[in-house]
Amino acid sequence: MSALDRAIVDPPRVAGVGERSPMAGLERRTVGFVDVLAQSVGATAPAAAAATLPALIAVRSGHSLLVCLVLAWVLVAGVGGAVGQFTRRMAAPGSLYTFVTKGIGPSAGFVTAAGQAVGYAFVAMFGLVGAALSVQTFLASVGAAASSAAVTGLGVVALGAVCFVVLRRGIRISARVTLVVEVVSVALLLVLLVTVLSRAGAEALAAPFRAGLPGPDGLVAGTAVAITAFVGFETAASLGREAERPFLTVPRTMRWTLIVVGFAYLLSAYTQEAGGVSFGLQLADNDVALSALSDGAGVPLLGRLLDLGQATSFLACAIASLTALARVVFSLGREGVLPRAVGFTDPLRSTPLGALAVVVPVTVALPLVLLAGGLSPWRAMSVLIAVSAVGYIVAYVLVAVAAPAFLHRIGELTRSALWGCGAVAVALTGVLGVYLAVVGGTDPLALSLVGVVVLGGGSGYLYVRMRQPEGFARMGLFDEPISDDLLGGR
Amino acid sequence: MSPGGDAGGRQPHAVRSALSVLEEVARAGPGITAKQISAALGLPRATTYRLVNLLVQDEYLVRLPDLSGFALGHRVTLLASNAVPDRERETAEILAGMRARIRAGVHLASFRHGHLELVDVDPDFPLTAAALAEPPEIGADPGAAALGLLRAAGAVERYVVCAAQPGYGSLAAAVRDDAGVLVAGVALAVPAPRLEDPAGLFALIHDDVERLRAVLTRG
Repeated sequence: MSALDRAIVDPPRVAGVGERSPMAGLERRTVGFVDVLAQSVGATAPAAAAATLPALIAVRSGHSLLVCLVLAWVLVAGVGGAVGQFTRRMAAPGSLYTFVTKGIGPSAGFVTAAGQAVGYAFVAMFGLVGAALSVQTFLASVGAAASSAAVTGLGVVALGAVCFVVLRRGIRISARVTLVVEVVSVALLLVLLVTVLSRAGAEALAAPFRAGLPGPDGLVAGTAVAITAFVGFETAASLGREAERPFLTVPRTMRWTLIVVGFAYLLSAYTQEAGGVSFGLQLADNDVALSALSDGAGVPLLGRLLDLGQATSFLACAIASLTALARVVFSLGREGVLPRAVGFTDPLRSTPLGALAVVVPVTVALPLVLLAGGLSPWRAMSVLIAVSAVGYIVAYVLVAVAAPAFLHRIGELTRSALWGCGAVAVALTGVLGVYLAVVGGTDPLALSLVGVVVLGGGSGYLYVRMRQPEGFARMGLFDEPISDDLLGGR
Repeated sequence: MSPGGDAGGRQPHAVRSALSVLEEVARAGPGITAKQISAALGLPRATTYRLVNLLVQDEYLVRLPDLSGFALGHRVTLLASNAVPDRERETAEILAGMRARIRAGVHLASFRHGHLELVDVDPDFPLTAAALAEPPEIGADPGAAALGLLRAAGAVERYVVCAAQPGYGSLAAAVRDDAGVLVAGVALAVPAPRLEDPAGLFALIHDDVERLRAVLTRG
């Protein structure tokens, strides 16, 4: 009889596998594929990004939207490949920083955690302000409410409270709502795009392809902003413990999110360019590009609906980004890098309550400070997304560096993984450098916020090394297999 | 694996590779690495990594906390009901029970068609190479030599004892069908002092032998 048959009837004892994972407290293996997909899609917020990002990219790159989007798509797909090396092999609520710690050690892991926290937090802030602003635009268009910074601030607080309630209840409901909202919004967007394209002349239709290349600085900076349209796709990894069959679900989710949103962005960018030429609209830095486009195409009602869809998409983005952020903070709490209290989970709902109680107030507070400081909501959003992009790209670079090191450590490195990840790391480092220079030249406020974050992170690092050496040494905890997962487990 | 290399031939090949990976993990025991699997099976490394990751995705394999070692996953039991015939599974269950209970090497041999064939050797009490050879030289191994004597024994003996070597020996119990034909034998490999009370030793396994008889002579 074969060894396999024998093992089935008399399963071997497996050393080192216990009854409890270090991440116990969070739900385990209960969240299905659709909900995990909703997490990645929600955090990426394709409806909101497809609507607003062409305007933000155009600020940096002029009329070369499509080139920048394609470059960003390729780079992010490379990051997805590097992240996938980890998500096929381990389930970790801390996601990127846990992966980096496993590959190249806790110091790099700490930097990644900071990058991730900044990326998730600032994009959540971006989402909150964006949602408040979209609600305001919608109300103004139907003749209600005055637009002022105070109203936006009030909206941010109210929506922040909504986020907290939803996240405390558990991700399932919010995930489903997110997915429906995104699908409906993207469908509405496609209707608008087709309408616009059908009314644009041949001249306008060809214009986006005749744009030519911007200078190298503009190209790289535009690519960096375009990358922010894709960020969040990897947040499915933070549900590694909670997902059913995570080693299948999480990589598959990341792959499909990237493919679908990439096409949606290309179509949206192309249409906004063509429509802009056709109706004589200025695209760059235009916060109401879609409303203007729908007015120009003679379907103003669609524009109003899109404002509403955009508002919900922004809110979904905030919720999904906070979901990932809370799990990073939770994981750091379990390791002892952050105070243990943030590793506390709600015993009834199995959600990371301790972490949520910290991250939601912070995410509400900073936008209020910016608005109180006299920034317009649109301006505040472009500052927030710039800082977020820096955090994300830092984390992505480190993951690309860590993946081959990790594979080498466990004896599974292949040549293609080494070269692929290496190329992504080099290219993204270049993008980060140029982006910082461009942001420094055009947006000193964003750069100084980055500076504040770097100083804060640096002192945090020193504090943890000196005062919490055990926590630092424990970094890299993940959701280990338990005896139930094994043949013969109960 | 048709020589023409048609598309239809590829999938079964992948399935066979996947099963051989599971078999290798079962054989080597928990903790075997992907590199070791690839070396043991002679599969290309990239192929092996892809296979183990697929098997982990479907939870047939579990990646252990060190992230480099593997163990069989809970879904392997799904294979059992289909892949392993009931008779083999029940036999293996009885032997596993005996091995857990008795301080002795427990080996099962088949005598179908008059040939002695070792069907299930206790992995914790390996036999010598000679005993495992084809055809087996069973007499050369003190742990199984009694099995060789069974064939020569009369049709009524329930067990035979063989102290082949000072200090070490075996007891073999006969499994007969209703006509009294020898179907199989179970050997207990034990230190010689325990063979001084063969009836007591046989009493330990009497019920198991009856159950084996029921399983092996069924239909």
